[in-house]
Amino acid sequence: MTRGRGIKVLVSMIGLDSHTTGAQVVATLLRDAGFEVVYLGVNQSPAMIVGAAIQEDVDVIGISSHASNFALIEELMALVTENGLADVPVVCGGNIPPSQLGKLKALGVARFFPPGTPSDAIVEYLGGLGRGGRAPSLRERVTGDE
Amino acid sequence: MKYTTDFGYEIKPVYGPGDVAGIEYERDLGDPGRFPYTRGYHANGYRGRMWTRRMTAGLGSSRDTNELLKKYREMGQRGGLCVIHDRPSSSCIDADHPMARRENGVLGWPGSSLLEFEELMEGVPLTGQSITLLGCCAPSSLRLAYVIALAEKRGDALAEIHGSVTESPFSNVFGQTDVQPFDLNMKLFLDTAEHIVRNRIRMRSGLVGQHFQESGGNNAQVLAIELSMLKEVCSRLVNERGLDFDDVMRLPYQLVSIGTRFFEEVAKVRALRRMWAKMAKEHFGAKQEKSCQLLIAVHTSGRTMTYQQPLNNIVRCAIQTLAGAMVGCTAIDNATLDNAYAEPSPLAALMSLNTQHIVAVETGAADVVDPLAGSYFVERLTSEVEAAGYRILAEIDARGGLVAAIESGYIEKMLNEEANKKFRELDSKERLVVGVNHLAIPPEEEPFKIPVREVEASDSEAIAERMAAWKRTRDMAQVEASVRRLYADAGKGDRFNLMPAIIDAVKAYASAGEIIGTIRVARGLKYDPFDMIRCPFALG
Repeated sequence: MTRGRGIKVLVSMIGLDSHTTGAQVVATLLRDAGFEVVYLGVNQSPAMIVGAAIQEDVDVIGISSHASNFALIEELMALVTENGLADVPVVCGGNIPPSQLGKLKALGVARFFPPGTPSDAIVEYLGGLGRGGRAPSLRERVTGDE
Repeated sequence: MKYTTDFGYEIKPVYGPGDVAGIEYERDLGDPGRFPYTRGYHANGYRGRMWTRRMTAGLGSSRDTNELLKKYREMGQRGGLCVIHDRPSSSCIDADHPMARRENGVLGWPGSSLLEFEELMEGVPLTGQSITLLGCCAPSSLRLAYVIALAEKRGDALAEIHGSVTESPFSNVFGQTDVQPFDLNMKLFLDTAEHIVRNRIRMRSGLVGQHFQESGGNNAQVLAIELSMLKEVCSRLVNERGLDFDDVMRLPYQLVSIGTRFFEEVAKVRALRRMWAKMAKEHFGAKQEKSCQLLIAVHTSGRTMTYQQPLNNIVRCAIQTLAGAMVGCTAIDNATLDNAYAEPSPLAALMSLNTQHIVAVETGAADVVDPLAGSYFVERLTSEVEAAGYRILAEIDARGGLVAAIESGYIEKMLNEEANKKFRELDSKERLVVGVNHLAIPPEEEPFKIPVREVEASDSEAIAERMAAWKRTRDMAQVEASVRRLYADAGKGDRFNLMPAIIDAVKAYASAGEIIGTIRVARGLKYDPFDMIRCPFALG
């Protein structure tokens, strides 16, 4: 599979949620589709996730969310904006009540993938997010480095 | 469509006498109440005692969860109560920790001090029903201390209290993670277990096989994991703590998951009973029949509760509850129709409890012991899952037992491969789930919007602020004296039992973060697992 070639995805758990199966399955299917995946693992605060996104110079941030952890996604989105990363898409997968989705979208969450989403839908969407070497990378924009 | 079990056994279109030809009734099944207990432990089944019909509670502050417990009682919870920690208190950090501030009371009860337990149990008796408290291993040493301390305050005889408040160190290893290190969890588990057994406390300790299955493991694997957990903890309690095996077996209970593949789930639990009975007798040399009878509680499967068309989950829950009832378990708590959204709404909780009562009193399924025994299909499936489970158990044994197999990464690899396989089967529609990859409808056309229990970040912050303010009102001299004793004891080696010092510290209202933090420092670890806050005590 080559659909993910050249695209670097951060996959992270958020907060103290320890249900790792979903993130692990998604990380595997993305790697199989040719994406470069940085899996951060558990116990990641929003600040740690943003720090890692800058450090790893990723094209997209993927958050695995268990029920009710959406409060931390709100905090993450505020930090994403604060750090000038608003054009790095943040996508979320997992259990988020439909009532919260409008609010998260308004805060800038690009896409929500509920449980049961086919892998094709995830790969296709993320596959369209590469910079293709044209735009400056995230780290260049944040730090001014060349 | 795939006609195989999740562990790869090819299912035939029809079963007959040839499929059970190798089974000898007395040797392999036995009447209910007779070794090898394939058919259960009680000759008259549920007629003597109905299974405990409960709901797992935990949301908001301790006072909120207390209200919930009372509500569940009104809704028809019978035989016992069940409460689960939130993530901060599961991790043994306090509500006022920087990592906790948005997660207090979000996925459970914020139970990180005796004060919280007192509020949780206000107006709720400790006796006359089983007390079950769940959520990770390290905090379970505190939970045991809470029960002991509150019983003393209330003047309840400890011997009158029963239930399960402690957990094995394997709780959060499979598809989940634990903030506290495994060796610390193991040490604390052995301490709680030894304390319970030596003091003849009527408290069980949970071996949570459920998490392995819920994280994607198959039925044969989960049997092997459940038996190897039992083997590991019983061996350590006998060899390292000098306890008698028959005394040790008053301790464990197995929490199993039951999914929707009805006959396979029934077969799995029947096989578990038989496999344990044999291990108890042949490997451990059980002298008492009771030691061959593994107590089994059921949690119906949360992972099968779909996000799409959640009303369908009522049906799934009913099928799973029926399986749980027909295999003769001790207790059931159900996943709820809104499991993929939030903690249960009152409607979802009521539906789950009513599901249990409908199965108990309307269907007749509870009237007869092990009603599926003798079915060609079920007996064959029981033998097949047992054989496949033994093969995996042998692999784990060959690697030096469960702890060694975990440390080498063997178990994680096995589980990840299986979870990926389960996902691929859904993705390719080899397995169908209604409303998800079969007969799906667009979200905007969902015919019914279920009520969802909303939580606010401000509620979590209020719990954090209360914790911070309350900490300053304590008798600090008493807190400090208790943690200094704990620190000294924790330096006396792994086999020195910390329960007496933990009970002291809990009674002095030291918090989970303080108690486990102090033990961590004595073991050369950082006070705070996240290295964000400093130890507030002068320990050295």
